[in-house]
Amino acid sequence: MPKLIKLTGPRAAAWANDRFTVVADDQALPAGGVILSLARFQAEGDALLSEGREVGVVLQSDEAVEALAYDLPRLAVVALAFPKFRDGRAFTSARLLRERLGYGGEIRAVGDVLQEQAQFMVRCGFDAFEPADGSTPEAWVRAAFRFRHVYQRSADGRRPAFEERAHGV
Amino acid sequence: MYQYDAIDREFLTDRANEFRHQVARRLSGELTEDQFKPLRLMNGLYLQLHAYMLRVAIPYGTLNPRQLRRLAWIARTYDKGYGHFTTRTNLQFHWIKLKDAPDILDALAEVDLHAIQTSGNCIRNTTADPRAGATAEEIDDPRVWAEAIRQWSTLHPEFSFLPRKFKIAITAAAKDRTAAKLHDIGLMLRRSRDGALGFEVIVGGGMGRTPHVGPTIKEHLPVGRLLSYLEAVLRVYNRHGRRDNIYKARIKILVAALGAEEFGRQVEEEWAKIDAAQVDLPDVELARIRGFFAPPAFDVLPRVSAAFEEAKSKDADFARFARNNVQPHKQAGYAIVDVSLKRPGDTPGDATAEQMEVVADLAERYGFGDIRITHEQNLVLPHIRLDDLPVVHAALQAAGLATANINLVSDIIACPGLDYCALANARAIPIAQSIAERFAEPDRAEAVGELKIKISGCINACGHHHVGHIGILGVDKKGEEFYQLTLGGSGAEDAEVGKMLGPALPAGRVAEAVDQLVEVYLRERQEGERFLDTFRRAGVAPFKEAVYAEAD
Amino acid sequence: MKALTANRLIDGEVVFWSQGRWVEHFGDAELFDAEAPAEAAATGAKAQPNVVIDPYLIDIEQGEAGPAPISYRERLRALGPSNTPQHGKQAEGGAEVAAILAAHGAARSSGRVNLIKRK
Repeated sequence: MPKLIKLTGPRAAAWANDRFTVVADDQALPAGGVILSLARFQAEGDALLSEGREVGVVLQSDEAVEALAYDLPRLAVVALAFPKFRDGRAFTSARLLRERLGYGGEIRAVGDVLQEQAQFMVRCGFDAFEPADGSTPEAWVRAAFRFRHVYQRSADGRRPAFEERAHGV
Repeated sequence: MYQYDAIDREFLTDRANEFRHQVARRLSGELTEDQFKPLRLMNGLYLQLHAYMLRVAIPYGTLNPRQLRRLAWIARTYDKGYGHFTTRTNLQFHWIKLKDAPDILDALAEVDLHAIQTSGNCIRNTTADPRAGATAEEIDDPRVWAEAIRQWSTLHPEFSFLPRKFKIAITAAAKDRTAAKLHDIGLMLRRSRDGALGFEVIVGGGMGRTPHVGPTIKEHLPVGRLLSYLEAVLRVYNRHGRRDNIYKARIKILVAALGAEEFGRQVEEEWAKIDAAQVDLPDVELARIRGFFAPPAFDVLPRVSAAFEEAKSKDADFARFARNNVQPHKQAGYAIVDVSLKRPGDTPGDATAEQMEVVADLAERYGFGDIRITHEQNLVLPHIRLDDLPVVHAALQAAGLATANINLVSDIIACPGLDYCALANARAIPIAQSIAERFAEPDRAEAVGELKIKISGCINACGHHHVGHIGILGVDKKGEEFYQLTLGGSGAEDAEVGKMLGPALPAGRVAEAVDQLVEVYLRERQEGERFLDTFRRAGVAPFKEAVYAEAD
Repeated sequence: MKALTANRLIDGEVVFWSQGRWVEHFGDAELFDAEAPAEAAATGAKAQPNVVIDPYLIDIEQGEAGPAPISYRERLRALGPSNTPQHGKQAEGGAEVAAILAAHGAARSSGRVNLIKRK
């Protein structure tokens, strides 16, 4: 099982205890927080939430975040899957969750997650990561915040270069 | 020209440091090749047949003399003394060692150059009209918008892992010198009837194995809304472009599958939801960028130059150069000078370190320090006084850079082909050389007139063969190099994909076949017709007969 | 006949396998007459992912002037680019280069095709 890194503040991250279990569709539910597929969440989510459980959903890269639009306030975690390092759909999903759907809970990167994507993930609104390359929180932070400047606005709220110029660095 | 500030420079330093770290991780075995490959590609580093190749970005094909001299220095220090200008107006070095790449990126960063996004499935170097800021034909300066796109697309957090690579071209002239309709996005600046400046947005053009002339999905995008609209296009593509098959992953496949109208509708829908004020550049930043592209301090000169006229009448070589390589400038007394990298016998697009230095010196002394790269693999000195043309010509001539063949039969685009490229099926350079040598006699080449020959060593079409008036595609036929000819393509405003002429020819037959095609044209042409016009009027039959008659 | 080739990680140089090490010249390459030792060498090469990239076997033919790769792609890799005879391994000349230049067999490099298919 990959360990979980969470952002803990501006330019800081640490190992985190994962209080969620990812549950396959054909698997019996363990106690505690669970992360379900979209299909299973749609079938069983209401019941589980009404038990008072913490529930998260893992979206595959071809699943649209809009499917969760009305459930987001109830979700503790949205995990976005990177089936391959090169599959960049989850970057769009994360931005839409943060910027369009106003999701404030945890967005977790799962799958083929490498520190080389850290800067893009953080910029798009991810705040939890299950690195597949054995990255430590220190390495993750270094990679995520290596660049002193960015050129566009995104979900992280960083000031882009054109704004730094207009207002002085 | 755009000048980097402290922000741009610190960014490049951070990027070079990041790559140094990644190379170290690879050499120590911490990263596997599969993990490292996309990272090195994002820094323009490919593994080719004989060595690594480093592709240096030349944003919208613009360089200053200090940058060109640095490229010459890198060619000498880390390569074999030359570089190759590409159809993306970049420069590639073909003999690079992985262990040297971090030092090279540092050396590039010192002069505000880099290799960011010259490969990988991201937004590549945006190209623009090489005559921007010099031609009277344009209604705005496309470099302003190209620079805005450069910044917006640099390490874009959402669009750095697209289904496939993504190329944008911008032109503001009616005559298209960027092949805009063959790009993932082509932007053509237009004025609406009320005079407002806007972009015609063309999406889903491209070459490769499924060539498409791109359809227009928006007739008039107000210029200030450019970036939010691009963000909408890219988002629709990132979400819905195919990822199951690399050959069907370009945006052209998505646009063709949905239809231009439906694709455009999805873009509009997404665009309406984007908070455009967060994405579109504020006017103050646009004004700041525009300020860098203000015209240089031109002298007030008469329209006619006595020195220029006299040199034309006395020196036949110069007169030929003036006919073919000198273009009118918007400023009286100035000209745009095309510097050909297509001397017959040489490798198309190659420039030695010494040649780069000559061009850098000329730009500095005579040309306001401005150098451009064309997608046809030539260089341009955009602002030369007519009075200075004879001395500039003499200096170019001494450096082997004064071949007077722009747009003529020997001004051939060729990709590196199998001589260098790991993807190629056949060589392209020797074919270009054999054709150029066959038409080396300049009077004959001039009599033939505009004829664009474009050669690719494989179906990826880096040599733009689909849009050659004569296109040549290298194929591997049972282990032998063969060449498939197409006719009637155009990458200009009248864009069209060429039509197959007939069965592929062996290497030794290609130059002869081109000669036969030219003879048909000379026989059939009517007053004022280019090769392309005659082909369009007369059709493929007479050309086909000339090339394949003997075989029947 | 076969030889084992790859590009070296650190500099991209074309290299060939010979008796337990990588050499830069085709003339020094080990030529395998039998399948089994060739495959064994290829398996061993794949276990060196931090030394070489994409090792694969190429077909070799004994010509009148000496052995040479059958495919023109592999001949170009062994020689250097044909547009610049002064660059690459061909610049050094000699019998090995002459033999490859004299070769004219035409076939795809089966090892390379298999490599691409695997990807």
